Amino acid sequence: MSRSIVKFTAIILVIAALLYVGIYGLDFSDSVSIPGVADEGGITQGLDLKGGTVIVYKAQTDNPTEEEMETVVNIIRRRLDLQNYTEATITRQGTDKIRVELPDVQDAQKAVETLGSTAQLVFAESILPDPNDPMKVIVEKEVMQGTEVKNAFAEYGQTDDSMSKMAYHIALELTDEGKDKFSEATGRLVGSPIYIVMDNTILSAPTVNQKIESNTCVITGDFEAEEAKSLAANIKSGSLPFSLEQVEVRTVSATLGDEALSNALFAGIIGLILVMLFMIIIYRLMGFLSSIALMSYLAIVLIILANCHVNLTLPGIAGIILSIGMAVDANVVIFERIKEELKLGKTVRSAVDAGFNRALTAVIDSNITTIISAVILWWLGTGTIKGFGITLFIGIVVSMLSAIFVTKFLLKQMIGMNVKNLWLYGIKTKKDTVEMKGGKA
Amino acid sequence: MFSIATSKNKWIFMGISIVLMIVSVLSLALRGFNLDTDFAGGMAVTYEIAAEFETADVQQIVDNALGSTQSPSSVQKSGNEVIVKFGFDNSLETDEARSDFSLTKIEAITTALEEKYGTPVTAEAPAEEAVAEETAEEATEDPVTEEAATEETATEAVVEETVIEGVVLKSQDIVSPSTGADLARSAVWMSILACLAILLYVTFRFEFVSGVVAVLALVHDVLLLLGLYSLLQWSVDTNFIAAVLTVLGYSINNTIVIMDRIRENTRHARKESYAQIAESSIWQTFNRSVNTTITTLLTIGMVYILGVPSIQAFSLPIIIGIVIGFYSSVFVSGSLWSTWRDSAVKAKRQ
Repeated sequence: MSRSIVKFTAIILVIAALLYVGIYGLDFSDSVSIPGVADEGGITQGLDLKGGTVIVYKAQTDNPTEEEMETVVNIIRRRLDLQNYTEATITRQGTDKIRVELPDVQDAQKAVETLGSTAQLVFAESILPDPNDPMKVIVEKEVMQGTEVKNAFAEYGQTDDSMSKMAYHIALELTDEGKDKFSEATGRLVGSPIYIVMDNTILSAPTVNQKIESNTCVITGDFEAEEAKSLAANIKSGSLPFSLEQVEVRTVSATLGDEALSNALFAGIIGLILVMLFMIIIYRLMGFLSSIALMSYLAIVLIILANCHVNLTLPGIAGIILSIGMAVDANVVIFERIKEELKLGKTVRSAVDAGFNRALTAVIDSNITTIISAVILWWLGTGTIKGFGITLFIGIVVSMLSAIFVTKFLLKQMIGMNVKNLWLYGIKTKKDTVEMKGGKA
Repeated sequence: MFSIATSKNKWIFMGISIVLMIVSVLSLALRGFNLDTDFAGGMAVTYEIAAEFETADVQQIVDNALGSTQSPSSVQKSGNEVIVKFGFDNSLETDEARSDFSLTKIEAITTALEEKYGTPVTAEAPAEEAVAEETAEEATEDPVTEEAATEETATEAVVEETVIEGVVLKSQDIVSPSTGADLARSAVWMSILACLAILLYVTFRFEFVSGVVAVLALVHDVLLLLGLYSLLQWSVDTNFIAAVLTVLGYSINNTIVIMDRIRENTRHARKESYAQIAESSIWQTFNRSVNTTITTLLTIGMVYILGVPSIQAFSLPIIIGIVIGFYSSVFVSGSLWSTWRDSAVKAKRQ
């Protein structure tokens, strides 16, 4: 009996400790530190909670190849890095879409403009003014397409032996085909400009100083550092295999996200308390034990959320709260079974054993069907649906384990402590049991 | 005692389900869905307006800002927030043109609303000033804490930031019409995949008849849920898809627990008919079905009661789905299973 009390107390302490770690994290030293959900950066908040802008681009071409899409993702990533959107995430969506999430960015218009100028780039030797739009030009004769540029980057230094001044310039790396076209054109055009035209707008019009016959060349000019970087980035993104258009632009303000988060947390706490009360009223001692198990469930889910960088979205939180309700389902199945066994006149010990064993298949089978749906949402869903799938999956798996193992362990200790009053196990009175027993016999 | 699977009652319950399914199919075919921006494409912009305002005034401002060639817009008020929805101009052909169009129009509406209700002024400034003074005092005493204190004030100021007047754009969604078709396609695929995977699993763990019954119960639950949304013309968005797929996974829980008990009772059965086995299995698991449904409804119900509108739109279909799922599991699935098995036995004897 005393061993059971020790074990029971021990597991309560373990659960309390886990809960503490889940919320506040753990810092032993610099080398061992586990973030908790309350820590700064402990939870990766989705854009609908944090606020920010989501842009979904669609390739304006039929059946883009896997390789082309990967190239585009890489180009967008580079572009975002150059524009200092360091927290941005880029994901593929379906076969022809790319989803860009920009946390904390509220100005959708600006974000779209910065990222959206991903049009085709052309190097031209002559241009005509656009009669409809004074700001735009029409390419008359092109030297080469932007796709012939393998790489472009801003550099700082001397570009020419004769130049004593240090300046920013843009270094270009060309493909072999590009090199041929470029050397032919620069041979003819010494002294005249080559127009770098993107989206029918002149980005830059450097003058050709000499015939260029290598794979590398530089564009010089009075560039500021930022200007050079941005021009290089534009030239580089000009090598997109196709143009992109945004099909979805969504912005959520940070205040809306905060409100949603605090409401959802409040709902979760109230829901949790109600479920615990319900369980205790219906199943008494067993319900109380399952409430403790629910605490361990909560602790483990919090630790997973804080450490696995799960992207928590609003539906994701709903998924977790929903899984609190589902978490006790396994316990309800088991407890009902134990009650049935007790009514048959079994001792508490054998009723608990039989209840767990017989209910196990029902618990596993019913949870696996829900896991199947959760995995499909996680795997095939996009955006907030994906977030919901992930948390639902975590919630169900953890709840199943806590309901089976933690509750069983706790119940065993209760039996070890000789708690055998049937009322505590949800049977109305002893008389009922005897009657039931008699009826059966 | 009241019986579910052994008496004529089973035909009543199955009949109710069939009638509701037919109504749902008819409504889906004739009325369709009230598609939200996520599916239909278009713009949905939420503004918070600090001043008292009338929906009609906002509607007027929005219509003026959009111009006369614009397809009709809708303005919904909820608390001090207003959601403005409008579609794309039909003459726009490329996604690029649509994107330019939407940004310009949203800008126009925001400007027009700001003209009427004022630009946003927040309480941020005074809060910052007040604390900044304190910081200055502290700084004279201890220069080292100055930096830390300034950081603190910055966060405090953000927390205290509340709109006291003017119009704030809280969220904006711009969705191209092509997106809805993609979304619908992926939702249908996910549902089919989920059904097939569940059918496979149940057939493997139980037997084929149980698998078919479980999936039929699922189709029933989802169909009724879709039918209800179609019939009442409640708006359908991305979150609704996630909710339907959750119902797909969860409403089957009760069915599985009943099937599990049937599986167990069949093993011990001697002379009982399948209907009798189903009947006792349903009643043996009845408390559990009710209690589980209650605990789940307690949590998701709280999310619905306390949540923000977007989360309410997500939790309502789950609540409805859970209730429908309870009905189909307890009152229909067992009867369906036993009717099928018993008629198979009869057919063999003849």
